[in-house]
Amino acid sequence: MVKVAIYPPNSLVLADLIERKGHTPLALQKQIRQKIKDPEIDSPPMNITEEDPINGLKYAAIEVPSGVRGRMSIIGPLIDAAEAAIIVDGAPFGFGCVGCARTNELSIFCLRKKDIPVLEVTYPDDEDGTRLMVNQIMDFLDSLPGGGGDLEGDSDVLGEPIANKGGK
Amino acid sequence: MPANLCITPDLGKEDMDPEVSTRMIILSSKANVSESEVVNFLHMLNLPITIKWTCYGAMISGKDEYVREAIRELRKLDPYGIFTKERGFAPGDPRRCRGHRYGPREGFHQMEKEFRILDYVGEALKNPREVEIEKKEPVSVDYFKEILAEEENKKEDDK
Repeated sequence: MVKVAIYPPNSLVLADLIERKGHTPLALQKQIRQKIKDPEIDSPPMNITEEDPINGLKYAAIEVPSGVRGRMSIIGPLIDAAEAAIIVDGAPFGFGCVGCARTNELSIFCLRKKDIPVLEVTYPDDEDGTRLMVNQIMDFLDSLPGGGGDLEGDSDVLGEPIANKGGK
Repeated sequence: MPANLCITPDLGKEDMDPEVSTRMIILSSKANVSESEVVNFLHMLNLPITIKWTCYGAMISGKDEYVREAIRELRKLDPYGIFTKERGFAPGDPRRCRGHRYGPREGFHQMEKEFRILDYVGEALKNPREVEIEKKEPVSVDYFKEILAEEENKKEDDK
């Protein structure tokens, strides 16, 4: 099983396909969940604290706007943990959740620079394009070690079924 | 209701539990099941999870193992029409839920875009076949010059 970084980091299609093939998608939502649940955050509605731009210095220089560094403090750990990556190129304007073109560029640069297998696919706008994208992603995921989930999303994909359901 | 985009949430015990995860279940438009069937099926599983019926399908929240069990069972209904992804915020969280604020939820626009290709993704998974796409290339300069020359010749002939 391989941890696969995806870009856009909240993509439904990419995350779903990766799970179907038995790998783990490194989706942004888990990082956000940690942020919003952390009892140490002083002001719970705010996801970003003053510590985050400081943590972001690991990925971007001090001259880089704090917005980029704050975002990188959330996306950066995903890039660090990535063992493979799938990037969608040529997506329409506004596609993706990051809301910052420079953070997008920096994140994609970091993924490309990292010595991991990277697949870059084009955002599809028709049926054939989607088929091509799905084929490319499936071939790429098959080439990664330790996959083997089936497309139906059975037990291989989401782990062993739990023995005792409980709570009845 | 004032447009308060920064509501202080009143988080319950479950919301603060690190083992709890939330998943969105999104149906493609060609799915063989409806949102209500999905929700009924999830209720009939009798797992200790919170289930919310939504316009795109459903949202479930609970201990990670139960959520995964529910997804695994649910996918059997229509493996190529049901898609799922993780969600950071719990169902009904006032920081995201439209019931407490104005405008589309963050993430709506991305989901709207991806929803449009979900049918094709399901079809590609169900009946995989090789495709080749001809890449459109810009017109070459020589060809462009040829056309210009032709047009100029036509104009001269007309005169």
